[in-house]
This record gives sequence, C-alpha cells and structure tokens, in this order.
Amino acid sequence: MPMFKTPFNGYSVKFSPFYEQRLAVATSQNFGILGNGRIHVIDLSPAGPIAEIAAYDTADGVYDVSWSESHDSLLIAAVADGSVKLYDLSLPPTSNPVRSLAEHTRETHSVDYNAVRRDSFLSSSWDDTIKLWTIDRPTSVRTFKEHAYCVYSAAWNPRHADVFASASGDCTARIWDVREPGSTMILPAHEFEILSCDWSKYDDAVIATSSVDKSIKVWDVRNYRIPVAVLNGHGYAVRKVKFSPHRASLIASCSYDMTVCLWDYMVEDSLIGRYDHHTEFAVGVDMSVLVEGLLASTGWDELVYVWQHGTDPRAP
Amino acid sequence: MERAIERQRVLLEHLRPSSTSSSLENLDSSLSASVCAAGDSAAYQRSSVFGDDVVIVAAYRSPLCKSRRGGFKDTFPDDILAPVLKALIEKTNLNPAEVGDIVVGSVLGAGSQRASECRMAAFYAGFPETVPVRTVNRQCSSGLQAVADVAAAIKAGFYEIGIGAGLESMTVNPMAWEGSVNPKVKTMAQAQDCLLPMGITSENVAHRFSITRKEQDQAAVESHRKAAAATAAGKFKDEIIPIPTKIVDPKTGDEKPVTISVDDGIRPGTSLADLAKLKPVFKKDGSTTAGTSSQVSDGAGGVLLMKRSLALQKGLPILGVFRTFAAVGVPPSIMGIGPAVAIPAAVKAAGLQVEDIDLFEINEAFASQFLYCQKKLEIDPQKINVNGGAMAIGHPLGATGARCVATLLHEMKRRGRDCRFGVVSMCIGTGMGAAAVFERGDSCDELCNAK
Repeated sequence: MPMFKTPFNGYSVKFSPFYEQRLAVATSQNFGILGNGRIHVIDLSPAGPIAEIAAYDTADGVYDVSWSESHDSLLIAAVADGSVKLYDLSLPPTSNPVRSLAEHTRETHSVDYNAVRRDSFLSSSWDDTIKLWTIDRPTSVRTFKEHAYCVYSAAWNPRHADVFASASGDCTARIWDVREPGSTMILPAHEFEILSCDWSKYDDAVIATSSVDKSIKVWDVRNYRIPVAVLNGHGYAVRKVKFSPHRASLIASCSYDMTVCLWDYMVEDSLIGRYDHHTEFAVGVDMSVLVEGLLASTGWDELVYVWQHGTDPRAP
Repeated sequence: MERAIERQRVLLEHLRPSSTSSSLENLDSSLSASVCAAGDSAAYQRSSVFGDDVVIVAAYRSPLCKSRRGGFKDTFPDDILAPVLKALIEKTNLNPAEVGDIVVGSVLGAGSQRASECRMAAFYAGFPETVPVRTVNRQCSSGLQAVADVAAAIKAGFYEIGIGAGLESMTVNPMAWEGSVNPKVKTMAQAQDCLLPMGITSENVAHRFSITRKEQDQAAVESHRKAAAATAAGKFKDEIIPIPTKIVDPKTGDEKPVTISVDDGIRPGTSLADLAKLKPVFKKDGSTTAGTSSQVSDGAGGVLLMKRSLALQKGLPILGVFRTFAAVGVPPSIMGIGPAVAIPAAVKAAGLQVEDIDLFEINEAFASQFLYCQKKLEIDPQKINVNGGAMAIGHPLGATGARCVATLLHEMKRRGRDCRFGVVSMCIGTGMGAAAVFERGDSCDELCNAK
C-alpha cells in the first residue's frame, strides 16, 4: 500500500464507516504547537497512489477527526483553538466548514461520533471538560466538568447510546451516562496521565486505557479494582489505543516510541505485532471497520500509512 | 506565543520519564527538550516554500568496497551503477521515462568508454532509450558536480526530473597518467604542481599548517570508530542499495555469486597504536600514512532531483532542498584546502554563515587537509562526518559526491528539524574545492490564512 505525505505533522487518522477506501487525516503545522492545521480526505486505489479528495485548512492545528455515522460526507474536527468544526464533503470548499462550534476555552483534543444513536457527538478538551453536541444544534447540549486536567479522549460505548468513557491527564478514566448528573464511575487507572481510552466492540463492559506510564491497561468496569490485563512493551507514552472491530481481544496502539503495536490481551504473550515504520512520534492509529485487518497510522513524520496487518507498511 | 509554550509544556509532560519498568527505559535519559537551533541564528528566515525549489526525493548509494581486494573486485563498473539507478525509480515509483537526464560523475574511467558504460547502466536499470545520459568530470567532486548540474538544469527549465550520480571503479581504472607530459610544464610552477601526487599535497598541507602526525592518526581512528558505530547501528541501511555480483577466487578461479550490502573498508578496532606503526608513504620524514589517507575504493551513488511542485504532486517525500553550489580554485600544491574556501563561498551564496550549518560531510581525502579545513572554518567536530568519512568508508573518486549527499540527507532526516542546513564539500586534485548547501525539505510551510 502506498503512503500519503502530508505537509503538516499528522495527529489523527480515521477510516470512513461508509467507504472502505476512504480516510480522513488531521494534521497540524509545527507539531501542533504553533501554526495552521489541515484536514485531508484521501482515497486508496487498488493500484497507484493515494488520491486526495479534499483538504480543508484551519487557522489552528487539527488534533482529531471523526466521521459522522449518519451521513457519509460529514466530518467533525477537533481544532486546537478550542473549536469543533463540521465539514460536508458534498459541498463546495467555500461553504466549508458548515459549522464552527466555539465553546471550549482551550485546545479541543478529541471528537467521537455516537455510533448507536447516530445523532450526537462528543468533544474533549484541554479545558478539562467534555461536551455533548447534536448535529442540529448550534450550542452544546451538555458540558461534563469533573476532570481536573486536560481530557485527552472521550469515546462512546459501542452498545449503549448514552454511555461513554473519558481519559484525562488527571490520571483517571471516567465512565459517564448522559442521563446521569455526574460520572458513574471514576477509574484511577494509571499513576501517570492517561492519554486515550476505547471500548471493546464485543464486550460492552471492557475498556482499554493508555498512559504516559508506557502501558495499556484493559479493565472490566464491573470489577475495576484490578485490570484484566496490563500490556507492557511501548518505550514511551502510549498516545492512542483502539479495539479491533473484528476480533474481540485485538488492540492497536501507537506511541511516542514511534511504533504501532498490536496486542491480544487474552493471551500471555500479548504483543503480537510491532511496526516501526514511523520516524517520529506515532500519534494516530485506526482499524478499518469494513476491511478486516486493514490498519492506518499517522505521525509527526508527516506520513500516513495504510496497510494490511502482517505486511510491511513501507512496502510499495 | 504563550499558548505555544503551554502546548509544548503539555506535550512534554507526555514524555516525562516514568517509574514503571520497560525495556527501553534507558532511552529516557537521552530525551530532553531543546531550543530549535535551526535557523535561529540565521540571517536567513524563509517564511514560505516555492514550487520551483529543486528538491531531492531520493538518494542512494552502493556499498563502498576496497578496490582490487573488496567486494567489487570482479564487478564491471556499470553493474555497480545500474542497481543504484534502478533503486531511485523503483523506490519512488517513478516512471523512468519522465527522467530528463542522467548525469554521472566519473573520474578515472576513459572518457568515451565510461560515457558508454553509463548509458548501458541506464538500460540495465530499466530506463528507456529516450532518457539521455552524460558524464561529468571535476575530479574528486564529480559526483557533487553531477548533482549540481542536474539542479541547475532543472532550475533553467531544461527538464523537471533528473538524476545526478557518481561512479568509480578504482579496480578497473587505477590512477595513472597516459602518454607523455608536455615539457612546457617546467616553465610554470602552478602547472607543474598539478602533476604532484595527491599524497605530496597532503604533506604540503600538514607541513605548512603544522598538522601533526598524532592529530592525523587520531582523526583516522575517529573516522573508523564513527563509521563502525554507524554500520553497527544500521544507519547506512537506509542509503545503501545491496549490489548482486560475483567474487572470483584468485587461486582457483571459481566464481561465486554474492550480494554486497556493507562497506568493507571500515576497521572497527583501529587504534592510535596501530596507526602510529605505519610508515609515511609519500615522503620519508612525512606524516601522511596509508591509515590517514582516504581508501582506494569502488562504488556508486545516485540522487533523484525534481521541482518541489512536482514532488508534492507525486506525493514523494522531500529529503532535502538543493540550495547552492560553489566550486573554487586554490594553489595546486595544497589542493586539500579546497573545502576551507569552497564552503564559505557556498554558504554565503545561500545567505547563511558557517555557524548556521548543522551538519557537514567533508571528504577525508587526507587527515591533514580534513583537519586543516575543520580548524580553519572553526567547525565543531561533532557536526562533521558524524558517520565517518573517506578514511574509513572509502573514496571512489567520482562517486564520493553523490555518496556524501546520500549520507548527509539521510542523517539530516534522522536528526529531525533541529538539523536544518547541511553541507557537502571536498577538495579536488589540481587545486580546487567544491561545496553545496542543502536544506531540509520541511523547515517551512506554505502560508495560510484559513478561518
């Protein structure tokens, strides 16, 4: 599979839930510290280079993107100026972004679209809050403010439309139900900042958290005193963790150690694959829902790789 | 700006060493935030990129092997060059027919024969007959001159994609003078100096600028140490293209197919004591020994250049930007001082100062001239030939320039954005010097006024 070169540093990559060849990439200039951002929408072709379908410039870095689960052309982006922006691929570039939701007071770090009810999405921010939005309202529906430091990630439960988890630099992960006034569970999951969390796609009580302590921990929220598994092997903070949509125990992760790792948390030798194709921090990883085993990653080396598990990402 | 500092702080926290055990724990100590050195001191502050910049998208080389005894002792010169040319198009997925010209630097090979061999090498590498080939000879800087020629031709609009390469088999073509020397040479000292063996010019440099034997030996030890460390760490793997060839056993005459993938001149255990035992080769009471001279080797290198706009269009990674090139003349009797004159010229043309350069590849023709240039330009030794130089890796005359470009750009890539500018330079027999300035491809981004 060919790679895709982005002018800015990669921050996040997501497969489209509608088209198996389509991906969105969030990038930021100067490592996301200062400058512009750009969202790329790219298409794989069976032979030949990756084609860029659209690109949207932003005034500040873009830290995350999420595809809408209801419209194949809709995309939401977490922008470092605190805004959440909506883009519609079917509209001309001049009409985009179709909406810019400016409520977070600091960098928006993640966005996640609700895959069950398909009408709402979450944004998490360095202003310590998580906000719930619906596609038809100009302001947020709710703000969840409990974390004491940056909230790096918020992820919907894949089964329950009202349940989500959040990961924060305050060293806790929290489970929330939007019908409840506060968080329903506080998980002091790591001794260091937690950078990412994701739900198992097969067991609605299992979540994974990844941390600056270099580990990934898998938890059963019904019995959260001890982790189900602790996955050690990354050499630096684990930036993102992602459960496979195809295999219950398969987890992908990417890290500041520049590698992308695959894990099977159910077996003893959990680390089942390590890819060292990135030459700078690997900060974005995703697994295709539509093609089993298809992985994508991006990093600060300004490259996006898409490859089948088991093959060399760099192979042309 | 405050916001940027705060963002940097948040991200740095992610890299804070933690107490949990990990196999890579020891890496922690090597990681720290540093002020971005690149460009800060430069008078030169580019704010945007230009589509017509000439950029390098790929640079590879063959391993360098000792001539007559090394891996390429039974290899035809075109068989060393062809795989390197082939790699340039294969690894970039480029249609070879799009290449506008292939320029090969070559020094010792007979003019027309070498030009024919290069044309044939292009065919072996899979280039169609429509792609022209030529050679260039500026002695030891031929490889760099080839790259500069291609960059200039692209700038001039002659074509949009070109390959600058270098090839030398000192096994097949040893250094020799053919025919008689014009007796008129006696009437002019400078012309006569052009006939001096290179080793004598090294002795002249050592003598005139008081470079001691010990310093020279030390430089050779360092060169071998750095080259051995780089090889052991696999640093050359990115730039070396393995060459399939054969080795003939000198006694039995048996042919054995082999694939050469590492430089074979590097001696990891070289020590000062070993080098001190060597006798001066060129002058009885001299200081230049076999150990402090560049190795006689066989090898090839190749660099693929194109306009930035085209590289972006093709989605090719930009390894570096070709900024400036300068060739200068110096007294032939001390030809080794060439880089000390050429580097300031090239750097000035780029609007920079020598201090702005983050990495140097200066060809180690001899330890004496290498040390002189380093001292004269007051370059931090930590910035020069960080992966060893010609004393360890070898100096296949025409290939050296292209080899150094590949080594420099791959090292700049590894070093990241802190390493913005790099220089390749070498001295040239008969009293010249050449230098070129390269910049990272990603130091600046296009301007944007998005909302």
